Order: sequence, then C-alpha cells, then structure tokens
Amino acid sequence: MLKKQNFFKRAYAGFCGPGKHQMLRVSLFCLLLSLLGGAILLLLLGKDPIAAYRSILQGAGVLPKAKYPGRKSQVTDFLNLLDYTVPMIFASLSVAVALKCGLFNICVSGTMIFSGFLATILVGYSDITPIVAKFLVIIIGIGAGALVGATVGYLKYKYNMNEVVVAIMFNYIISYVVSFFINTKYADPVTRQSVEINQNARLTLVDVEMFGLRMNITTVFILALIAVFVIKFILDKTKFGFELKAVGANQRASRYFGIQVGNTIVKTMIISGALAGLAGVTFYLGCYASIQPRVLPALGFDAIAVALLGNMTPIGCFFASILIMIFDSGTAYLSSRLGVLREIAALITSILLVFSASSGFFRMIANRYTLELADNGGKNE
Amino acid sequence: MNKNFVELKHISKVFPTIVANNDVSLDVKQGEIYAILGENGAGKSTLMSVLFGLYEPTEGEIFIKGEKVNITSPLDANRLHIGMVHQHFKLVDNQTIAENIILGIEPMKRKFGFIPTVDIKKANEDVALLSKKYHLEVNPTDLIQDIPVSTRQRVEILKMLYRDAELLIFDEPTAVLTPQEIESLLEIIKSLRDSGKTIIIITHKLDEIKKIADRCAILRKGKLVEVLDVKNTSTRQMSSLMVGHDISLEIKKEEISYGETVLSIKDISNVDKDGVQVLKKVSFDVRKGEILAVAGVSGNGQVEIADAITGLIDISEGSITVKNQNINNLSIRERSELGMSYIPEDRHDVGLLLDFTLGENLSLKQYYKEPYCNKHGVLDFSKFDDISVDLIDTFDIRCGEDKEKTIVRSMSGGNQQKAIVAREIHSDGDLVIFVQPTRGLDVGAIEIIHKRILELKHQGKAILLISLELDEVLALADTILVIYNGEVQTIEDAKNLSKKKVGEYMMGVHHA
Repeated sequence: MLKKQNFFKRAYAGFCGPGKHQMLRVSLFCLLLSLLGGAILLLLLGKDPIAAYRSILQGAGVLPKAKYPGRKSQVTDFLNLLDYTVPMIFASLSVAVALKCGLFNICVSGTMIFSGFLATILVGYSDITPIVAKFLVIIIGIGAGALVGATVGYLKYKYNMNEVVVAIMFNYIISYVVSFFINTKYADPVTRQSVEINQNARLTLVDVEMFGLRMNITTVFILALIAVFVIKFILDKTKFGFELKAVGANQRASRYFGIQVGNTIVKTMIISGALAGLAGVTFYLGCYASIQPRVLPALGFDAIAVALLGNMTPIGCFFASILIMIFDSGTAYLSSRLGVLREIAALITSILLVFSASSGFFRMIANRYTLELADNGGKNE
Repeated sequence: MNKNFVELKHISKVFPTIVANNDVSLDVKQGEIYAILGENGAGKSTLMSVLFGLYEPTEGEIFIKGEKVNITSPLDANRLHIGMVHQHFKLVDNQTIAENIILGIEPMKRKFGFIPTVDIKKANEDVALLSKKYHLEVNPTDLIQDIPVSTRQRVEILKMLYRDAELLIFDEPTAVLTPQEIESLLEIIKSLRDSGKTIIIITHKLDEIKKIADRCAILRKGKLVEVLDVKNTSTRQMSSLMVGHDISLEIKKEEISYGETVLSIKDISNVDKDGVQVLKKVSFDVRKGEILAVAGVSGNGQVEIADAITGLIDISEGSITVKNQNINNLSIRERSELGMSYIPEDRHDVGLLLDFTLGENLSLKQYYKEPYCNKHGVLDFSKFDDISVDLIDTFDIRCGEDKEKTIVRSMSGGNQQKAIVAREIHSDGDLVIFVQPTRGLDVGAIEIIHKRILELKHQGKAILLISLELDEVLALADTILVIYNGEVQTIEDAKNLSKKKVGEYMMGVHHA
C-alpha cells in the first residue's frame, strides 16, 4: 500500500515538480484533471465522454462535423471560434498585467460594458465610413478602458482604497448607469437590448459571402495577437515592465529602490483598463452588436481563471483563451448532438475554470511531494 | 555524575544536494545547559530538527533516558517531554497568551453538563500559576499582538513548560532581543536549569555560551568538531574551532584624519503615524573617512534616522544636507543618485526582491540608467549579467550553479547580505548607511562585512553605522552617537567612551 502511494506521489512530483517549464506542466496537469472530471460527470449521465469531447471539438471547428447546413463548413465554425476568442484574449491579458503588479483587476466586466456602451452610442449609430468607424471604435475602447483603470489605480494610490472593493462597486455602478441609459434611450422594443449598431462600426464582418460559404470574419484577431506580443515585450524587456513586476513582488522593497510605487500602480491599471476596454468593444461591437442591460458579462470573470491557467504570461493567456473558448463554443453542439442539457455542457467549461484557478495549489502540492520524496529517498540509500 | 538525558548516536542527515549532518554523536546530561555552536549552515538547526521530529535522520539512533526511541513528529517529541522554542515564534497573533499556550491540549469542561467547551478560566489560572512558578511573568489574558518580542518568547517557553517538557531546545533565542532582554533571558534559562530542566541552546554568540553553558558542542560543515567544557575554554578557542581558523575579533583602529563633511543633519524631527514623536531635533555630521555609529536600545529612533536620510519617511522639521545640498525635497532615487548607499535592516522585506534572480537584484540600483536601459526604456539584460558576474566574483557571493540566474530566496542569509552590500557599494556613493549590517550572520560573514566597512572608510567614504550590537559599534566606530527616546544623548570620539559609559547613555541615565 505504502509503495503504491509512493508511486503515485513520485509520478505526480515528477510531472509537476520544480524544474524547467513547471508552470506549463502544472497547467497541462490542470487541463488533464478537468477533462477527467468532465468525463466522470458525463459517465454519470450515461454519455460517452470520448464522443462528447469529440463533439465539443467539432462544434468549435477544430474537427470536422459529420454534416453541415448550407453554406457552412468547418471553416465557418473555426472563424466563429476566433471571433469569440478575441475578447477573451484581451480580457485575460488585462487580468494578467494587473496580477503581475500585485493588483487584482476584477473590474474587467464593468470596463467592458463602459467601453462597449460609449463606442455604441458615439460611433455605433452613426454613418461614418467602415474603416474610420472601426478605427474609432478601437480608439474609444482603449480610451474608455484606460479611464476606468486610471480611476481605480488612482483611488488605490491616493487614498489607499482596496482595488478589489472599488472594482466590484464600479462593476455595479457602470452596469446600472448604462442599463438606465439603454432602457430609457437606446432600447430595442422587441429584444429589450440596446438597438443593434450599424454594420459599419462592427469589428466582425457578418455573413460575408466567399467561396460559396457565409462566414463571420473578425477583423481584430490580428490586433489581439499584436497586443499579446506588445504586452510580452513590455513585461520582459522594458524598464517599466521590470518596475511593474518589482512592485508586484514587494512594494516596500520597490520603494526603497527608488521606484515610484503609486505611479507604477496607476500606469499598470491604465494598461490593464485599456485591454479590458478592448475586450469590451470587441465583445459588444464584434461578436455581438448590442448590449444586454443589467448583465455583467461572465467573460470578464472567466478571464481571471484564464489568466491563471495561462500562468499570467501573455503567450499563456493567448493559448488558455483559445482553449477555454473551444470548450465554450463547442458545448452548444455537444448539447444538441448527445442530448446533454446546455447547463451540464456549460458545467464542463466551469470545471476547467475551477481547476485552472487552482494551479497554484497543485504546484504547491507538487513541490511538497518533491521535498518529501527527496527526504525519504535519502533514507533508503 | 548525572545520567544522560539524550544520546544521539552517529546521526547523519542527507539532503538531495548537501550532507547536513555527518555522523554526529553527542550526549546531553540531565540538568545541564548544553550549547551547540556553529556557523550558519553548519547543521545545528538540522540536528535539533531531527531530535524534535521535524526530520527523520538518514542514519543513526536517538536514545532518551537510555531508551532507544523513534521520533517521527513533534507530537512524539512532546510525548517524550522534548520542547523547542523556534527562532521564529509560532504564535497566533489575535489570541491571548493563555489561549496560545493551551492550544492543542485545552482543558475542557461541560457547559450545562453536556456541551463540551474550553475551560478558559482554568486555562488562565493554570498559566498564571505556571508563570509564577518559573518567574516568567506574563498576563494570561493579553493578546499576543499587543506584547513585545521578549514576552512572546516567554510565552513560547511557557508553552513548552505547560506540556511538561523536561528538555528545552532554544534555536537562536537571542537573535531578536535587545541587550537587556538577552540578559534576562539568560537568567531565565539558568533558573530553568536550576529547577531541573535540561537545556540545549543553539547559537553562534560566543559570550552567551561563556556566560551560561556548561558544555558546548562545536559543529563545522555538518561534522562534530569537539565537545568542550565551557569553563576551561576561551571564546577565542571556540571561535577558531568553529570557523576552522583564527578570527581577529578585535579590529585595529589607526589614526586617520577626516575630510570634508558629507552628511549634515540639523534638528530633524519625525512623528510616526500613531502621533508619537520618534525623533526629537536630532543633529549630527558625518565626514569623509569617518565611521559614525549610532548606538541605542532597539526602537529609540535609530532606524528612523536612516529612513529619514534615505527618504523613506518624511521629517516634520529640520534639514538634511548632503555635500552642501539640501535634500529635504528630493525623491528616494534622486538621493541615491547623489551618492547615497543604504544597506537596510530588513534584508528580506526591503533589501531584496527574493523571487527575482541574483543578477536582477544586483542591478536594482542602476537598472534604469544607461547602459542597462536605453533612452526608449528598453532594458539590456546582458549588461545585467556582466555586472553581476563581476560582483559575484569580487564579493565572493556563493550562489547555486545557476550563477547570476539563481533565485535569491534560495541563498543563505550571509550571501544575501553580501549581495546587498555588493550592490550598494558598487554604486560608489560618498555616503554609505549601514543598518544592522551583521544581524543574524555567522562569525565568518560578520568578519567579511566588517572588513568591507573599514575598506570603505579607508577609501574616504562617510559611513553611518546603525547597530544594536554594542561590540560592533565599539569595534568599528570613530565617533559614537548614542540615542535614547529619539534624543541624542551624546556625540563623542569613540576613544573617550567606555562600553559601560555607552551603556549608561543608552539607558538614558546621563540626561543632559
């Protein structure tokens, strides 16, 4: 019995223990564990987990489906996946940048609504030419987001107000104020959401007819990729990124080294806010064309788990976002294919989010096992 | 002769990378004070952790009162009446003293005859009785967060006594105490012995051993070097056995003329956030080639002097002048640019970024300037590595095989301190401020740091040394400033002051 336990520990420590790429290995382990959890759930429901996972991948356009309706194919599914992934990439980058500086930006959802709403009423209903309109939408997204971020950061720096509390309150304030305006001025009487924006301003080109297919093409995926590399560059190579990480590691020490801690916090929150703003416009003026009042987008909170799964690195966030969105967009097909309730299908995504948020815990356990094994190893010799 | 309480036979403890204990055998007699002496990393703490059940020995046997025992956890140790006071106290801050002491073995009663509850009244009485019996006065209902460090230590001792410990292990008990507190702790330890307890004390302070211990085991690099009768051994002998070569504890001072004034402080005051005036019109000058040492009992404002000069705290009045420039309104970085180096007291929380690499830590004073950072704000990490390789070499910083890529957290305290000193001295300022530069370091590392300080003095730098170690102050200082309760008691040439006199000033006996 003891030997068996030892074997399990050894295997786990070997896989997740300290060393090269530990972060990546632990993330993969979390992924594996959540797939296993989902499989157990599906088995309990009497479904075949392998078929279920295959249909998730098919729904997301990663694997081909058995048959497609007219003018749809794997390509259109995959383009939809990319379209939905863009806001998640921005949102998780926003969380990751703040976390590197020791700040917990939980205000992504509120910022998204704020920037989405501003862009909608300023550009969304006008007749500006498409290119200029799209450009303006992006600029407004960045500006509005930066404004929210700056406010949160400034309150933290000037009055030492806890950024988490401020952010939660901001989420509600923004959500209700925006809802008020939508309900009184911009509501569509049928859908009870804001009136749909003009196609000119929309960042996703909807129903483009090409090669005999009708597809939705996102114009901002490239922008998301650029953001990933810009943030990576800032964090890894610049003086500001170095100071940002130093403040995140130890504020007292940073002050002693002459780093202006408050200044760094505000700047970081501006970047984080701008990214959240981009998530907002790509979500409300990209994937969708209207805003649902009184609903905080779940994406803004899921982004926290995604950022953790991606180990708070830009590249990690990129891949984690794609992974989560594969699950997210594939579950609709899963529920229709295997007759799994939508809620149950969504539960599988949630399991993945829970496990990815616990990567720190798994890393700690692995480190402890490694130490223990080293200890016992010494005794056996 | 008394019976042996503990016998350790051929204990070895091997960690994956190092041999912490190598075939150590010793026996501790009932009712004696047994000191274990060794440099940092000599294996003292590991050996005691083996005895206390925190580690299992790789080889060897442990006998308690002649019986072979197998100690696999601190619970086993408790059952065998072994208790340990750790260097870092393990207390719950927002509970009372009594609650901390009874934690885990609470006296119970049944409320209304059936609901089991902790009998806190009995606990308070028990603790009060116990503290009276051993003359360890504490108020059982005080909260841990409200009591000073020395009282917390008493609580730790009482915790052991409450568990009927007969063997008490102290791990570096005096590291966190002021000179007066050390005295009274040593008295407590003696009286514990007189009441029949057996004591093991881990330390690297020779004079404490000389004062209280009966016998002393010396460890070096995991091996037992010798067991000495303390009465018949000089501290000099002990220290040379401990480090393997003779160490000159006294540093020769030679006549030296001072240059111009580098730092000039006029009437500075500071009020802390609780409204207490921590500094009261403090004035002094430090000249080139001079070591001005600030002596005083901990918490009398000396750290605030350093923080005020470096800009970490604001002053409410007065002026600070460096090289004829008033720096009152300069930022921390601007002050450092003026040529100020600061080795802070708290190397873990202030002096270093523990989870950053050694290379990054060594560059923290300059990373924002050319050539480390170009004018677009982009860093050149290869330059970081260049300077680091250089400093690691010059200052003999021992790090892992990753060299400058070693994470600082994994390095020993002495080497962390060397890294800070290296970084600060390298920036070549005219003014160097040391706060408690040798706190918690072993004799070997202390010697190196002291040598560095004297070298700097000979290079003509102005040095402000703030230390709680009176011996350090007396050994290094040219001029001694004694501070008490935020007020300067005296500033005098070190030659004119005896240890006794400084001690009196420190206690505020000589009021001006």
